[in-house]
Amino acid sequence: MGAPALRLRGVRKWFGSVSALEDVHFDAHAGEVHAIVGDNGAGKSTTIKIVAGVHRADEGEVLVNGGEPRHVRSAADAQEHGIAVVHQDLALVECLDIAHNMALGTLPRKFGFVLDRRRMEREAAKVLRDLKVRVGDVRTPVGLLSGGQRQVVAVARAVRMDKPIMLLDEPTAALGVQETAQVGEIIDELRASGKAVVLVSHDLDFVFSHADRVTVLRLGRTVGTRLVADVGREEVVGLITGAIAPDQVHDGEVA
Amino acid sequence: MTVTAKPRDPLAEHGGERTGVVAKVLVRQETTLVLVVLAVGLFAWSRSSLFLSPDNLTAILRNSVIYFVMACGAALLVIGGGLDFSAGAVFTLGALSTCALLVEGVPWPLAVLAGMAACCAVGAVNFVVVTSLHVPPIIATLGTFYVLTGVDNLVTGGSDVLPLPAGFQRIAQGSVLGVPNDVLIAVAVGVLFWFLLERTRFGVNVRALGGNRQAAVANGLRVFRLDLALYVIAAATAGLAGIVYSAQVGAGQVTAGGTSTTLNAITAVLIGGVSLMGGMGGVQGVAVGAVLLSLIDNALVLTNIPPQYNSIVIGAILVCAVAVDHLRRARIYRKR
Repeated sequence: MGAPALRLRGVRKWFGSVSALEDVHFDAHAGEVHAIVGDNGAGKSTTIKIVAGVHRADEGEVLVNGGEPRHVRSAADAQEHGIAVVHQDLALVECLDIAHNMALGTLPRKFGFVLDRRRMEREAAKVLRDLKVRVGDVRTPVGLLSGGQRQVVAVARAVRMDKPIMLLDEPTAALGVQETAQVGEIIDELRASGKAVVLVSHDLDFVFSHADRVTVLRLGRTVGTRLVADVGREEVVGLITGAIAPDQVHDGEVA
Repeated sequence: MTVTAKPRDPLAEHGGERTGVVAKVLVRQETTLVLVVLAVGLFAWSRSSLFLSPDNLTAILRNSVIYFVMACGAALLVIGGGLDFSAGAVFTLGALSTCALLVEGVPWPLAVLAGMAACCAVGAVNFVVVTSLHVPPIIATLGTFYVLTGVDNLVTGGSDVLPLPAGFQRIAQGSVLGVPNDVLIAVAVGVLFWFLLERTRFGVNVRALGGNRQAAVANGLRVFRLDLALYVIAAATAGLAGIVYSAQVGAGQVTAGGTSTTLNAITAVLIGGVSLMGGMGGVQGVAVGAVLLSLIDNALVLTNIPPQYNSIVIGAILVCAVAVDHLRRARIYRKR
């Protein structure tokens, strides 16, 4: 297997005197769905936010495409490094419509400064059509959408960016059964198109049906990474709860 | 998300996709406002035949120019999630610094630019206090208001700055094809701000910032740059309004701005349908709001109603406008 699309090594993070991450490491590869699981407070969201440029790691490295360690200082930096993020809180602006939300941060322009509304709406509609989702007209304000529809818009925004690495933080937390299945299909398609998908989720059923690899975090540390095909639920749950001892790790390399 | 359950679709409930032009017009804040303007106008006309005279209508428009120019910058700032209570003092600063340069013999275009620059500097100070010192906007700009009011008085010794050259006074007192220059300035400012807000990337980013600051950060918007631009722009329009006012009255008055000026600008913004919660509102509403303020001033004078009633009427309209606006939005944007 070639260089990982995204590699974290020895990532540590403190908030004041509180240690949020002690030692997080994992490799995510192109064409794979890499799940991050763990109990509340294990550091899943903090890890995602570091890769996304919302927080900065105090120690350790984030490497993109096997290159030099990247300093991701802001969300704009992360985008530049080829990382698209679906945040847990979705980061949508309710008073703006679907098309504006999907293009936020990368609004298309003409003549240098005029907003190219037509192109923006065309692109948004195309992405939603390609995802085979129906959320209504792209001029609908996001404030009018249901929780599930908002989730789809947030995912569609990341898809529209068309970056090689996609981070999804709890994309199914607020969704019903049917909507969860739909997000699952989108994730499968992203893998098929060769993206490295990093998926944070509480939902082990969802992880087992869509992920290729799973990394377990416990108390801010990576305690093990497994191929989903080779591992049973009991083992993953054991790693999450601490009933099974963490793997011995050397130089951040994991099986 | 196969959202095909049409009956539960909020848009459908509000007749969204079937909404005709008529319904769209009726649902806008400006429509209610225009109705209020017409009502006040009808009232004034029924009590005084002078109301509909061209001179009087022109006077109403010219009086609204000051409110409107200030309110444009203030509206943009409020839409972006900020607030500026220093506007009244910045208004005076713009007027006094420009007039002081004029009496020293500085050509008026230069004096105007310098006056605007001084105001922009105050806007930048507001930005620093709000974002770097983390003082809430309302308190930071209120502090600026008091400090600046003191400075305005100290520097002039409390007396007006006179006389102003005729070239400068023409900025507001002249006319082109019968349209007063100050009205033309207001139209130009209005068009510029409408364009900024509705047609540029900057405008969308401002709405995003005010609508959901965290989302703006998460989407990689340069929020500090936006904040800086908004506070500077708000100060610039307050200063410009002060300068135009000086040209209207032919003097740099120490008492020109002040608390009531600040409150008038913010009132025009809020009556005009801009949400204090950020993100929503537009220049069109603000324009009607400014005309309404000016109209009420005028109508009360024409109908011999004592001026004390002015604040009562404006206060009532302000509360009603915001309440109606809130009700309408609560129906449309139900939290889920």
